Amino acid sequence: MKIIVRSLVIALAVTGAIATSYANASSSKANAMAPASISKTSAMPVPRCPPSDPGDCD
Amino acid sequence: MITTQFLNSLAYFEVMFCLAALCVITVKKQWPEYWSLGAFLATRFLSDLILIPLYHLKYQRINGLSTASTHSAYVAYFYVYWISFAVESILALIIVYSIFRLAMAPLKGLQQLGMLVFRWAASISVVVALGSAFAPDMTRTKYLIAAISQLQRTQSILTLCLLVFVCFAILPMGLNYGSRIFGVSLGLGIMATNDLVQSAWMALYPHTNSAYNLVNGVVICMVLATWTSYFALPEPKRRIIVLPTTSPFLRWNQISQVLGDNPGFVAVGGMPPELLAPAELEVMQRASRKMVVPFPRSMSA
Repeated sequence: MKIIVRSLVIALAVTGAIATSYANASSSKANAMAPASISKTSAMPVPRCPPSDPGDCD
Repeated sequence: MITTQFLNSLAYFEVMFCLAALCVITVKKQWPEYWSLGAFLATRFLSDLILIPLYHLKYQRINGLSTASTHSAYVAYFYVYWISFAVESILALIIVYSIFRLAMAPLKGLQQLGMLVFRWAASISVVVALGSAFAPDMTRTKYLIAAISQLQRTQSILTLCLLVFVCFAILPMGLNYGSRIFGVSLGLGIMATNDLVQSAWMALYPHTNSAYNLVNGVVICMVLATWTSYFALPEPKRRIIVLPTTSPFLRWNQISQVLGDNPGFVAVGGMPPELLAPAELEVMQRASRKMVVPFPRSMSA
């Protein structure tokens, strides 16, 4: 049990670390004006467009 | 169409799980210890209650079934979503803080020291997140989104650090994997990992927004179910912690307990005799009479 839980936690932490490095590398290449691509962990769709120009954003 | 229906179902499940977790925390009288988690769930519940009708209102308008303004619905949706996101990020930081405080409760000294370090780290992280989100010629809304995203990323990294700490320190702290402290940390850790993976995924594949919403919906339902079951089930009692007298934990705890105590003060000189009580003056005079010693001859010569 202890080994399983510890392995799960280490897997989560390593995944998070790798994802952070990928996200940082991608955002440094991207335009600085572009909003960061993150949303809350929720089933609700993310509103990414500015309120002045909703367009067809969800 | 099936995806949309599934997403709608997940949104309703999320609201129900939030309500269930809130009810369980209230019934089990856990608000004093887990008030930050309760506030997080209440914020999520209220924001979802507002967001779901706004979202449907917008789609009804597109299908020509409603006279309500699409634009107003989108503006309201936008601000409710991002403001609730900011509030939840700050509450998640407070949850991490309170979980650390609860986990370290038996070792008061290390708890105080850790909380002090955490407060500084969190404050600096928040300031850096708000500062790094700024770019020249940035509009207010873009800054809002970028700042909240940075804040969320900071909070996710801190949460994962806490999860690793709790996982490895839980047994020496007298807890086990059935403890609510571990359950809350595990849920937060899963959410944090999902946030970070999503951040990388969306940066690499920016046009898969709705696909990732499904993942988000499944993950949040899983996390809320985990929290609900941890609070619904009886918690195992904390074991008494027995440390050897040579334990570095014990030594560091003693040192940390002394750190930050108010120091005592010693009058060095320049003190007028009026400050002393008559009895103190008498004692000092008698003591000084006894201390009078003849001046050494060798020195006088």
